[in-house]
Amino acid sequence: MSNNLLNIGKSGLFSAKKSLETTGHNIANAGTEGYSRQRTIQTTATPIIKDGFVSGTGSVTKGTERVHDKFLEKRLNQTLSKKQFYQERAEQLSQVENIFNEIDNDGLNKTLNKFYNAFRELANQPENETLRSVVRDTAQLAVKDFHRIKKTLNEISTNIGSKIKYVVQTTNEMTKEISHLNKEIRALEVTGGQTGDLRDQRDLLVQHLSKNFQVTTYVDDKGSFVVNAKNVGTLVAGGQSIDLNAGPASKENSSSNTDGSYEVFFNDRPGFPVSNNFRTGELSAVLQVRNGDIRTLQDKIDNLAFNFINTTNSVHSKGFVNRDLKLGPNGEAPAFDLTGKTTGINFFAEPVSREGAAENMQLSDAVKEDLSNITTALKANSPGDNRIAIAISKIQHEKIYDHGRATIEEDYLKTIANVGLEVGKANFDFDQSEGILAQTRALKERTSGVSIDEETANMVRFQHSYDASARVMRAADEMFQTVLGIKR
Amino acid sequence: MSRVTENSSHAAISYALNKTKTKLEDLQLKGSTLKAISKPSDNPISNVESLRLKSTKSDNGQYAKNIDHAHMTLSTTEQALDQLTEILSKAKEIAIAQSSDIYNADVRGNVSNEVIQLKNQLVSIANRRSGNRYIFSGHKTLTQPFTAEGEYKGDNGIIELEISKEFFIPVNITGREIFLHSKKGSPQNTDQLQQPEKLPSRGLASVNPHKTQNAPTNMFTLLDGLIIGLENNDSDTIKMTLEKFDESLSHVITLRTKVGSLSNTLMASSNQLSKDNIDIDTRNSKLVDADIAELYSDLSRQKSILETTYKASSNLMNKKLLDFLH
Repeated sequence: MSNNLLNIGKSGLFSAKKSLETTGHNIANAGTEGYSRQRTIQTTATPIIKDGFVSGTGSVTKGTERVHDKFLEKRLNQTLSKKQFYQERAEQLSQVENIFNEIDNDGLNKTLNKFYNAFRELANQPENETLRSVVRDTAQLAVKDFHRIKKTLNEISTNIGSKIKYVVQTTNEMTKEISHLNKEIRALEVTGGQTGDLRDQRDLLVQHLSKNFQVTTYVDDKGSFVVNAKNVGTLVAGGQSIDLNAGPASKENSSSNTDGSYEVFFNDRPGFPVSNNFRTGELSAVLQVRNGDIRTLQDKIDNLAFNFINTTNSVHSKGFVNRDLKLGPNGEAPAFDLTGKTTGINFFAEPVSREGAAENMQLSDAVKEDLSNITTALKANSPGDNRIAIAISKIQHEKIYDHGRATIEEDYLKTIANVGLEVGKANFDFDQSEGILAQTRALKERTSGVSIDEETANMVRFQHSYDASARVMRAADEMFQTVLGIKR
Repeated sequence: MSRVTENSSHAAISYALNKTKTKLEDLQLKGSTLKAISKPSDNPISNVESLRLKSTKSDNGQYAKNIDHAHMTLSTTEQALDQLTEILSKAKEIAIAQSSDIYNADVRGNVSNEVIQLKNQLVSIANRRSGNRYIFSGHKTLTQPFTAEGEYKGDNGIIELEISKEFFIPVNITGREIFLHSKKGSPQNTDQLQQPEKLPSRGLASVNPHKTQNAPTNMFTLLDGLIIGLENNDSDTIKMTLEKFDESLSHVITLRTKVGSLSNTLMASSNQLSKDNIDIDTRNSKLVDADIAELYSDLSRQKSILETTYKASSNLMNKKLLDFLH
């Protein structure tokens, strides 16, 4: 009889100790990333029938389990994916925005304005050599600014390529680690029970993976844990991981229509880029910025430069050089003199194609070499004729851009406004998704997080129950002693 | 009741702190630049409008320069026309005085020297320069427009300047217009590059068309005629010049009126530009400058919010159940 009591006390002592251990584990991991608090599963021991009574036999611990909500976990991954998407988008676009920021410093709009006003100034004194050099310098500034904008856009686009490479690398590392964990978990759990700690680690990895792109996970009918990149394909199946790769693609194969742009593909299927299939997360954010926003801007700037060059040239080439020419018998001007052509001179070098017009923009060789090749006169030998200069300055206010709906300034400003709006929208979305993420994280923490206060209270409780169980054993011992004393 | 855990309260605190600090940082940036927008996304529409205003203002600056330039050229022209009137009046007085038969050949011979001087002056006026450019030689501004004999070497080019957006005024009169009194080929340039704008530029020398019916009056030959008349003591020839002098004088006066009215247009445009610039500045300031009073009240409010957050979190973070169990 007292033997049973001793055993009951022992089981209580053991359960209390186990619970205290779990409490200690929880406290120790209060700050561990991704840790879910654990709980000792304690039940009553199997009752026995003795002396015709059903009597209890104390408690038994069946192990520990983590407090975890897998639906919350999925929601967290999704919000994380979205937040990372908007964060990356806002960051990339703010770099783009910087190119078009003209609030405190000069940008293309100011430079183009200066360009046209330089021609207006030249129209005041078309004979003036100094003003011609001002026109050339101002034009050079405009050229430089077109270069700056286009080249910075190209740079951002290239940097996104390296970013893609990096993201793919980390993805491969993480999928490999997940597959290892899958093996370990399977080995440990084969004996039954759950390894909360390893599962936490795996969940954390999936969380990190969700930052790169949206991920779905499930357990298949053979009990293997499967990780899918949504819309792309399986990356981890049980102990197996499938590697992605990133590398430069040809223009036709690229998602941004640019030669040598980095594309993502499965390591064993290099000919089939999957870049555009990723949903949310960092990867699709940078891809979208590169293939959408930046690509549009690149085309826009090229278009702007192309039209700017051609409109200026078409007027400029009608003029005559600012040199004394020997006229023919009927007063016609010669096509050439000792310096070169006398009319039909381009101001800017003729662009080879619309694409790349901005970064390849140059003054024409004639204008570079000799200031007198900047034409102002519509008639030969008329140094005071300013009609060409005026006609060029008039282009500023002509609605010849955007299918005849906008002046060059209106067209460019519309571009800036669009960039501003996109960045504003991305920032707003980022703020909002950050709020939602904080909320989801809080929800998860409330369920799975460790509360020191709670653990302290538990500690006190389990200490007490340890004490009490010890007392029970002492009582059993005393009863034993009493029984033994009867004999004496 | 929901559980509050170490991580959740920590996250709540850092989220709150971050949010307040971001706002504060934004306000501090505005406070240091006194600008409401520092990048396009702060307010895309205001940013673009501000840029548009900036370029309009810079255009206006150029128009103001053009006005100054036009002013200079026109006032040189006005002076020349002024002196021209004087010469013609003097010559006319002489012609009137000498047209009666009171004077003899000697006197007329002496007077003819005076007229030769006047003709020299006329040639010098006709070759008047502003800076290094001849103002009466049309587009051939670097070619001396008249020879000593009064032969015209310039062309019919009219120089136009833009004095406000798409408003052009002519700033020269060709020597042919003034001195040869001929409308041939002018005032419009024969080979215009573009059609005139909505506001047609006014021709300087659009004189009364009836007068042009007469044979052109050449001022040089007119003075030459007077000289010949005087030298030959021929009062009939002298008398014949009288009507032509009247004609020439009224022609020059008409031109002076035109130049004067153009100068007025310039003044008016210049005033309009200054007014526009003030409007632009006011509007631009509303778009990009920060409202200082509002900014500082926001700033102090955010600061006190931050302090409250600090205090609240220090209470929350430093107290544990453990502190009360001994």
